[in-house]
Amino acid sequence: MAKTRTTAAEADQPDRWEAQLRKGAVEMAALASLWRGRLYGLEIIRFLENHSRLALAEGTIYPILNRLKAEGLLTSEWVEAEAGHPRKYYSLTETGRQRLRVMAEAWTSFSRGLTELLQPVLEEQENIQ
Amino acid sequence: MTAETQIDSYLTALRLHLGPLTIAEREEIVKEIAAHVRDSAEEPGASVETVLARLGPAEALAAQYREGLLIRQASRSNSPLVLLRATLRLAAKGVSGILVFFLAIFGYAVGGGLVLTALLKPIFPANTGVWFDGEGHFMSSGVLFPPPGSQAHEVLGFWYLPLALIAGSLTLLATTWAIQTSLRVSQRWQSRL
Repeated sequence: MAKTRTTAAEADQPDRWEAQLRKGAVEMAALASLWRGRLYGLEIIRFLENHSRLALAEGTIYPILNRLKAEGLLTSEWVEAEAGHPRKYYSLTETGRQRLRVMAEAWTSFSRGLTELLQPVLEEQENIQ
Repeated sequence: MTAETQIDSYLTALRLHLGPLTIAEREEIVKEIAAHVRDSAEEPGASVETVLARLGPAEALAAQYREGLLIRQASRSNSPLVLLRATLRLAAKGVSGILVFFLAIFGYAVGGGLVLTALLKPIFPANTGVWFDGEGHFMSSGVLFPPPGSQAHEVLGFWYLPLALIAGSLTLLATTWAIQTSLRVSQRWQSRL
């Protein structure tokens, strides 16, 4: 009985860890999607799906955009579209661009360090396969 | 239900659960989500039903907006009521939140109490003060009915008013600052996780 519970908890943990990892990256990814210019919410969602493996629950991105805007990293404007309803476009503010640069540098050096650390683990797996 | 009524009832529920936000913020969110639903429902292979399912329940979506807002607003607010509400939300999240909540209650009680007794000093001069016994040991302080007996002597006199006022105000300021700081820290921590 006790053993079953442990196994279930162990199996559950990597999922939770991965979910948290993704969640942490969403904020940076949303900022990064706007690097080349303004996009509206659905475009950001599709951009992230196509350019990263960040498939999100679609409801997650809008509150995050709202928060990033409140923090002064994004601005937004309503633009009339052919679709018959206006769309809310987001763009990076100067603060947002600066923050994203810092995030990108931190992320890259962090992941480079971790990749080195994980190299032996991955090599061993390749050998087994 | 037709597609339009499905969208309408989703947006009505969203509006309802976004209650604590200002009307302008609420309408902006509803307008944006409405545009999202209409745009994604027009994508090939999509329907209003699947789009709404992907968005998740209106209540959960609204909760994500409210969550960020309450703590963000509170970390800039000075109102004890707003701050206490935010610490209560924080307390629901873990042990450190509970600690912040109790410290907040304690800080407000002590600070508010000191200010109150300072204001009562002119009204009940004989009942308000800090008393020591004949041997110089602290006996009690505050507003006492009846005042302590003849062996006790009050040491501050009318100095009680400015001193308690300053001590109380400093305690209230320190409490406010401590709550705001912990809210900011928790916000940063939350956005990283």
